[in-house]
Amino acid sequence: MRPLALAAVLAALGAAPATTRAAEPGQPGVAAKPARDPAQIFATTCGWCHHKGGREAGKGPQLMGTPLSDGEIVQRIRKGKQGFMPGYEGAFSEEELAGLVRYIRSLRPR
Amino acid sequence: MQRWHEAAGRAALAAAVALATTAWADMHGSDVTHERIRDADKRPGDWLTYHGTYKGWHYSGVDQINSKNVGKLRVAWVHAMPRSVRGLQSMPLAANGILYYSGSYNQVFALDGATGEVIWYYRQKLNEDLVSKQTHSPYNRGIALGLGHVYMGTLDGKLVAIDMKTGRLVWETKLIDSERLTVGFTGAPLFVKDKVIIGSQGGEWPYRGPIFGVDARTGQEVWKFYTVGGNDGTQSDARNTWGNDTWLTGGGGGWMAGGYDADNDTVWWGTGNPAPLYDWSGPEWMTAGARPGTNLYTTSVIGLDPDSGELKAYHQELPHDAWDYDSAVGEFLMLERRGKKYIVHPNKSGFVFVYDRKGKVQNVWRLVKNINFVQDIKTDGTLVGRRDLTEGEHKNLCPFIAGGISWNAGSYNPKSGLYYKVGNEWCMDLTVKRTQPILEPMAQLNIGADFSLVNPQGEKAHGRVAAHDPLTGAKKWEVRFPEPPLASLLSTAGNLVFVPDARGILRALDASSGRELWKHNNGQGHNGGIISYLGKDKKQYVAVATGWGGLAGDDYANFFGPPFNTFPRDSGVLMVFALP
Repeated sequence: MRPLALAAVLAALGAAPATTRAAEPGQPGVAAKPARDPAQIFATTCGWCHHKGGREAGKGPQLMGTPLSDGEIVQRIRKGKQGFMPGYEGAFSEEELAGLVRYIRSLRPR
Repeated sequence: MQRWHEAAGRAALAAAVALATTAWADMHGSDVTHERIRDADKRPGDWLTYHGTYKGWHYSGVDQINSKNVGKLRVAWVHAMPRSVRGLQSMPLAANGILYYSGSYNQVFALDGATGEVIWYYRQKLNEDLVSKQTHSPYNRGIALGLGHVYMGTLDGKLVAIDMKTGRLVWETKLIDSERLTVGFTGAPLFVKDKVIIGSQGGEWPYRGPIFGVDARTGQEVWKFYTVGGNDGTQSDARNTWGNDTWLTGGGGGWMAGGYDADNDTVWWGTGNPAPLYDWSGPEWMTAGARPGTNLYTTSVIGLDPDSGELKAYHQELPHDAWDYDSAVGEFLMLERRGKKYIVHPNKSGFVFVYDRKGKVQNVWRLVKNINFVQDIKTDGTLVGRRDLTEGEHKNLCPFIAGGISWNAGSYNPKSGLYYKVGNEWCMDLTVKRTQPILEPMAQLNIGADFSLVNPQGEKAHGRVAAHDPLTGAKKWEVRFPEPPLASLLSTAGNLVFVPDARGILRALDASSGRELWKHNNGQGHNGGIISYLGKDKKQYVAVATGWGGLAGDDYANFFGPPFNTFPRDSGVLMVFALP
């Protein structure tokens, strides 16, 4: 049910449909590209601050078991938090954002 | 006679104007030239470059404050930097009794060094939307002085020149397309001859990490050197050390100000790591994995001609760096012993490299105990027993990603002959993953692993400040700290070493023995610079940056707990001390 919930949140936020890739500045409606694997995105970009793949706190908080709603997670990824986390508005497609939420929800102790 | 009088009058007027100009220039330190920095020993009351002088010693030759009277040291004045998100990480500079320093969001103050009174305040107009998307931001780590200007690299990829007298913008030059590459400049520039040299951020960012040479008077870009693959079609072209054209997204960069060997007219710069940080190739790294090959000129020290940017010499400290133990530390100690000249450069891995002035390795010694990414590095620089990582889990890799040696500077004291340096004892567990660089619409970090900070086996993570012979590594004394101190050190002709620690305590140690002589609680952690200088009142001051945050310090709250989980993350204060 999580992906459906996220889709509803994205729609409420006025997000582009999942079939459209995040727009480049001045280039709305860029054709869709295959979404990148969320675990790979995490190891590329997010693991710097959220340790052990998000299972432990590091510079940023532990994401496994986060009390944030799906919509709040997406909003935090998009906007960041000054002094703590950069914003990734436009960096990831809606499908990839949904994938990151699924990845975070799937985290289990290791 | 009339003519003579007119001529004499004109000459007298010209002399008066020249004198007034000189006095004005002298009052503001706007007569800082290459020659003045080269001969900085003659005026030890200044602190003219990030590393103090071209010698890179982080040493003050002023001895009013010394081991006999330091116990009386008191706060003289303080100054708060607005918008200090992630603390104050910069190295102040001082010329003619005026103190210049930078802070987050590319702000600069000029202050009376004796009183802290504001002379001017400069605030760079930034692309704030871009800044909000940067990981290595919004701090600034330092500025440069020269030809009447204060030079600063900006978060959105510009180099700017500010008038030292008025604080007004003189010129600005866009050097990097930060809107696409995400990163800009955070490190200090280096003023040499008539050029301003500045290195871009690189490392985990998928680009070619250029270092720029810019005309100090006009702001015109004169040369550019790509730390990833060298410059195409020149003798430095080393793209063939990057298999599968991975030089296009190689990382590198040179995000800390380097040094200058005035004897040989060579700028020395330390370069960042290749991207991704962690490679899954294992021992097959020459032919397989994320970036097959040695990956020149990442994790290297490079010697550049300051006029042309031409590569004169280099040494790659870690060929195919697979652990993010880069060479970006900007310290290049210019030393001479028994008629032979040396350069000493610390590597993030915890090893210290000793070179001759042509970049040939003369010795390598260990500053840090917990190192296991190699079994050893021989005294000729050869790596022995590499621990190359494959895809999957790895335990207890040492040191931790923040380094056995972090980016802040140590200090060499010519009176004691000792090199004072912070060493970090910590390790990491990691899971190496195959990644692809993310380039569109904006470049993103390319790490290549999930990881966590762990204690070394059999002991708790900690740090230490130690005094070593800089050439042999022979240790004279050390002081242990419960957490690695992250800030720069200062030693002085008063036989003192100042240590700003992570908890916010500034200590003065006896430079000969390490014995604590004085301490003061500054109320928040240190993660920036410290200098000493003479005010206009000819009195000695010690200025230290305070304020917590940054890529190493951000791990402390979770790992070490209090007091780090109580520190503000948006406070930056310059604390200045003097004798009563």
